[in-house]
Amino acid sequence: MESNKKYWKGLEELNNTPEFVESNKHEFAEPIPIEDILSGKGLEGRTPRRDFLKTLGFGIGAVSLAACQKAPVHKSIPYLIKPEEVTPGVANFYVSSYNGHAILVKTREGRPIKIEGNPGDVLGKGGVDAQVQASILDLYNATRLKGPLQDNGDTSWTEVDNFVRAELAAIQASGKKIRIVTSTVNSPSTQGVINDFIAAYPGAKHINYDAVSFTGIIQANQNSFGKAVLPRYHFERADVIASFGADFLGPWISQAEHMRQYVSNRSHEALEGKKMSRHIQFESRMSLTGSNADTRVTIKPSEEGVALINLYNAISGTTLPGSKQLSNKAAQTAVTLAAKELVAAKGRALVVAGSNDVAVQVLVNAINSLLGSYGTTIDLDNPSYQYKGNDAEMVDFVNEMKRGEVGAVFFLKANPVYNYYQSSAFVDALKKVRLKVSFADYNDETAAECNIVAPNSHYLESWGDENAVEGYYTLIQPTINTVYDTRQAEQSLLIWGNNPVKDYYTYVRNTWNTKLLPLGGLAGQGGWETLMQTGFVKAADKPAGTYTFSRDLNAVAQTILSQSSKATGGNDKLELQVYESNTVRDGKHANNPWLQELPDPVSKVTWDNYVAISPKTAKEMNLEEGDLVEVSNELYKAELPILFQPGQAQNTIAIAVGYGRTKSGKVGDGVGKNAFPFVSLANGTFQGNSVASIKALGGDKIILAQTQTHHSYEGRNVIRETTLKEYLKNPEEATGKGEEHKTYSLWDEYDRPQYDWVMAIDLNACTGCGACVVACNVENNIPVVGRDEVRRRREMHWIRIDRYYSFNEGSEVVTREKEIDKLENIDDVSVVFQPMLCQHCDHAPCETVCPVLATTHSSEGLNQMTYNRCVGTRYCANNCPYKVRRFNWFNYWNDSRFENYLQNDYTELVLNPDVTTRFRGVMEKCTMCVQRIQAGKLKAKIEKRPLQDGEIKVACQQTCPANAIIFGNKNDKNSEVYKALQSERTYYVLEELNVKPGIGYQAKVRNRTEQEA
Amino acid sequence: MRNISLILKQFSRSVLLVAGFAAMGLTAHAQGDAAKGEALYKANCTSCHKLDQRLTGPALGPAITSETDDKWLTKWIQNNQALIAAKDKKALAIYNEYNQAGMNVFTNLSDGDVANIITYVRTEYKKMQSTPVAGAPGAAVAETGPSNTLVFGLIGVIIVALIVILVLNKAIGTLERLVLNRKNLPADELEPEVEEVAVDRLATVKRLAKNKKLVFFFILAGTVAMGSWSWVTMWNTNVHQGYQPKQPIAYSHELHAGVMKINCQYCHSSAYKGKNATIPSLNVCMNCHKVVKTESPEIHKIYDALGYDPQTQKYDTTKARPIQWVRIHNLPDFAYFNHSQHVKVAGIKCQACHGPIQTMKEVYQYSPLTMKWCIQCHKRTETNYKNNTYYDQMVQVHDRLKRGEKVTAAALGGLECAKCHY
Repeated sequence: MESNKKYWKGLEELNNTPEFVESNKHEFAEPIPIEDILSGKGLEGRTPRRDFLKTLGFGIGAVSLAACQKAPVHKSIPYLIKPEEVTPGVANFYVSSYNGHAILVKTREGRPIKIEGNPGDVLGKGGVDAQVQASILDLYNATRLKGPLQDNGDTSWTEVDNFVRAELAAIQASGKKIRIVTSTVNSPSTQGVINDFIAAYPGAKHINYDAVSFTGIIQANQNSFGKAVLPRYHFERADVIASFGADFLGPWISQAEHMRQYVSNRSHEALEGKKMSRHIQFESRMSLTGSNADTRVTIKPSEEGVALINLYNAISGTTLPGSKQLSNKAAQTAVTLAAKELVAAKGRALVVAGSNDVAVQVLVNAINSLLGSYGTTIDLDNPSYQYKGNDAEMVDFVNEMKRGEVGAVFFLKANPVYNYYQSSAFVDALKKVRLKVSFADYNDETAAECNIVAPNSHYLESWGDENAVEGYYTLIQPTINTVYDTRQAEQSLLIWGNNPVKDYYTYVRNTWNTKLLPLGGLAGQGGWETLMQTGFVKAADKPAGTYTFSRDLNAVAQTILSQSSKATGGNDKLELQVYESNTVRDGKHANNPWLQELPDPVSKVTWDNYVAISPKTAKEMNLEEGDLVEVSNELYKAELPILFQPGQAQNTIAIAVGYGRTKSGKVGDGVGKNAFPFVSLANGTFQGNSVASIKALGGDKIILAQTQTHHSYEGRNVIRETTLKEYLKNPEEATGKGEEHKTYSLWDEYDRPQYDWVMAIDLNACTGCGACVVACNVENNIPVVGRDEVRRRREMHWIRIDRYYSFNEGSEVVTREKEIDKLENIDDVSVVFQPMLCQHCDHAPCETVCPVLATTHSSEGLNQMTYNRCVGTRYCANNCPYKVRRFNWFNYWNDSRFENYLQNDYTELVLNPDVTTRFRGVMEKCTMCVQRIQAGKLKAKIEKRPLQDGEIKVACQQTCPANAIIFGNKNDKNSEVYKALQSERTYYVLEELNVKPGIGYQAKVRNRTEQEA
Repeated sequence: MRNISLILKQFSRSVLLVAGFAAMGLTAHAQGDAAKGEALYKANCTSCHKLDQRLTGPALGPAITSETDDKWLTKWIQNNQALIAAKDKKALAIYNEYNQAGMNVFTNLSDGDVANIITYVRTEYKKMQSTPVAGAPGAAVAETGPSNTLVFGLIGVIIVALIVILVLNKAIGTLERLVLNRKNLPADELEPEVEEVAVDRLATVKRLAKNKKLVFFFILAGTVAMGSWSWVTMWNTNVHQGYQPKQPIAYSHELHAGVMKINCQYCHSSAYKGKNATIPSLNVCMNCHKVVKTESPEIHKIYDALGYDPQTQKYDTTKARPIQWVRIHNLPDFAYFNHSQHVKVAGIKCQACHGPIQTMKEVYQYSPLTMKWCIQCHKRTETNYKNNTYYDQMVQVHDRLKRGEKVTAAALGGLECAKCHY
């Protein structure tokens, strides 16, 4: 049964604005001005005819001359001595590790070209997030430092070594302090090197500093249970999850791991067991996690703590002193209902909060203790080491600098000049330090203030290890020689610390031989070689203990309430929440064009940050979308455009950090505005909630490069959704599968003698994170087009994730006919994500209109796009009902307008040599990774065996941490994809057109209860 | 019982062989099977030995004469190191003669195996001496012969015909003059006649030019000729069939693949594993050329490229610089071609696309490498599905085979765009 619930991608679609209607009449935003030429003077004058003849003559002459050209001489240069393991044209895979994930690095002829998740990875089980996928581009980035710098001038490593050692000796003698500031170090070897360095210079100290910090949780666990750790959360064991502003499916601690866990309780496997977790999200801004929640309740940032107090009261049956009701009545009810559900699921419940406030996190600990979460859904004994930052130590360090006590400071993967909340004070304090050394691989904001920059190598050029969670050790091994004259920071520290171990590789080997290999039951050379195959060792988990919270909460409640009142808006002040972006994160990926062009999962904005505000609040303030406003508090102001965000709490605004870099490189500089200065220090930790006022600046509107309504279905319904209750009653409820239709077809059926490549995409598993988009970009050499071109609807992504809003209005659905006052309910919306890519229709409308047969059908069910045949009529794109065809408006690989992104001499090394780079004027689209299909088949043929199901994985499927995409051969009745497509939830988008798409979607199921009202 | 019968069988076979050799008037020292010996010889010996030439090791034909002590030879072949270690005089002499480069040890060869090899060497060398040397290359030339002879023959016939016509014309002229002379006609009477003829000729042209049908015919013929010429030219634009650039090293496939019969795979092993056939890296060359033809200036180019000093036999990597070969077979970037699919899976001979490579002194592009050419082959070539369970899944293929139809690459989708273009 087709639902008549209304789904919309953006407010312009909801309101059917004239601009939206006009722009969606056409497949392409800007028509070619043929009409103007023909209707104007155009062909009337004499000159055009003559010019035409001249051009014609010149064209023929040029073509004839070009045809006379002799064969261009291509040189073929073989290896002098070929390494045994390299066969040109055959990819090698090496294990390595990034962000704690065990990964596989695909190399061709000695250059890394793609990152894949290691199927054995404890965190992602083969799935990795967008940042891991995109990290490979940083290796070839042309703005990386080419060698060491001294006072911003080129120098040599010997001079740097001599200088630093002399300086260190002098500083040591003068008795001043030495500080090493790093982002979280969880590598045993790096930590060892730092410890050795500190031993060599006893005045030294190591400070872990995370721009987006989790000190609040670590400190709260210290206060509550005496364990200063970041726990490991087990969302897969939780039947009821309540999150208070924690974006755990986004950047919060461990994205891919949480996604995998969360989805395992909601995907088709869980549903077949008639089971699905329930997720309630309380938050002020529409986060990626909130958009996936079964029930989402908007509360103001200042009320997160208050809501938790209420939740505690409801669960414990006591009343903490000073408790007050939430300003939003619906939220108050929701908290009470959530408490009931959580208590009912005792032992299988989990409460998380995104706040970095120690008091809030202590309260969360108390609640989780009451719910019996420790030992089940929260594991304190096998903690996570992904974030160790200590805010207080960082603040102390800045004060030490201010007092002039610090003689030397080293920055490793830390950029406080950009992301410290009081940047200018930090810069002033830094000036008092005699020796400032940065290991940054770019001449970033902090490096520019240092007298020595000793560029660190990229992780793909380095040896090392990581320890993301307790007992899980991953190996980092180099897959290429250093591209530039860089040196590993650890190597530098070994030299400067006069370490007896002269080279870092030996150091890493020693760490593994003595400490880490035995944990995995390995030893010696054999163990090392096994490690090079597996990539990690995993010691058995320690038993997760149960912890009971027994501290007095009165003081905690007081702190929360006073903090809340400080951050409460009013008198023209709005409540501001700064958050970590899902794409560029804390700004360290700002120079990565793939991540800049990856649309934000919820707002779908690329290449910018913005002020997200509820349309209702904006209307009250007479603000329109795109207006430039000045956001200010007492210390800082920033000019940013307004974005209307459905689901944003009233009278609140949200701004992403990670933008506004000034020295990140050609790509990231000047993109957006820095929001870190809005962070405040409260109760000893950095906190993102504060108050700010906004002022319209007037002037031209800013057009954000927002992709949300770029590909419209003219309001046709492409989403199928149901609730768990309905689903259990009738699994076919959402799709109406049981209903019989008579269909007619104009076309003959194709034979599928051997393979029928199809896909199944589970909308209930897809969280909309966007990892697939970046994986596809890397695999298929998809160009980056930049902000301006995205504004013209010319982004080239072969797979996009459509995000649909729909209104929640109690149990009633809002239909097209029965629209309610939108603005009243605009903060109560649900979101569905739908990955959209070429559907490889059996009766593809694009194929029938191509005048040159450039797009044809294969006997394996693929819709093939032949670039060398395409003449660029774009008929296919106009005829595609799914809007998945992309036109090359420019020669993106050789056009100075796009040179910042991918066409630098080094950057081009990242291209996949098995996929053609497309030229100007041709159409392109998803090929279902045909290069992988062909390679997989060839491998089977060479090995003289049948092709196995699951052997070929397409790029988007491979990276998906939620396992939402299944690809395979439908002719094989035992294949995963065949089974997935048999699900009652399976439907095909725009099935009514009878184009017979090859991609089946499984309908979204929401675990809603009737208690909500 | 079975063993006994096997032994009997072998025994009888060797007896028969001996008898055979005796009948041919050969003195058979070792009693071996030449056929078995050939296989063993090719598998074990050819990388270092040839029958009539010195390679890494001595030429075996002259070395193994009728006087050779077979027992000693067997010991030497099976384990020459042991003989050297035992300070056997003969062994040491050979060892020193060949720069103390030890021969491989073949303890895996039984006495019988060695006997087979020796027999093969003796018979084969004798055969080689009795047949003229020019025989082998002749066959290869004959392969391309017919078409060339035909062309040259035709040209010859045309030239001969022309000469005949000219000679006949001359003869006619002389005869006419003779006739005229005999009539003693005055010369001045003839003059105006000649002028008249000239005028007449022009008139003929003029008259012909007025004939519209004829003019039309000529114009039509001209257009057709020009059209077909440009059609052919355009089709062959960027088709570099016959492209034969000069290479930095005068490497001869004729010598290596033709005369020496080195398997293609030895140097182009990647063709069996992946997309690229690849030009071998220099360490492959050095496997032989460390000892073979060390004095050749062409080989010295390899040494220079590697920074190798043949005197000291040391490598200096600082002097190393790669050799820049000129690529002959250039496919456009948008066409994906994988050697292993064709060579390993389909079992296509290298020569099918690269032509008689074993006769090429310098390699040229034999095939047009156009898409038409690819497609034609895909339409004609039968799939190599035998003994490959990969193809077992293909139900349709089985049906076709049952019906006795030919299963070509095209029948398996080998003509579809995305098989090569992605």
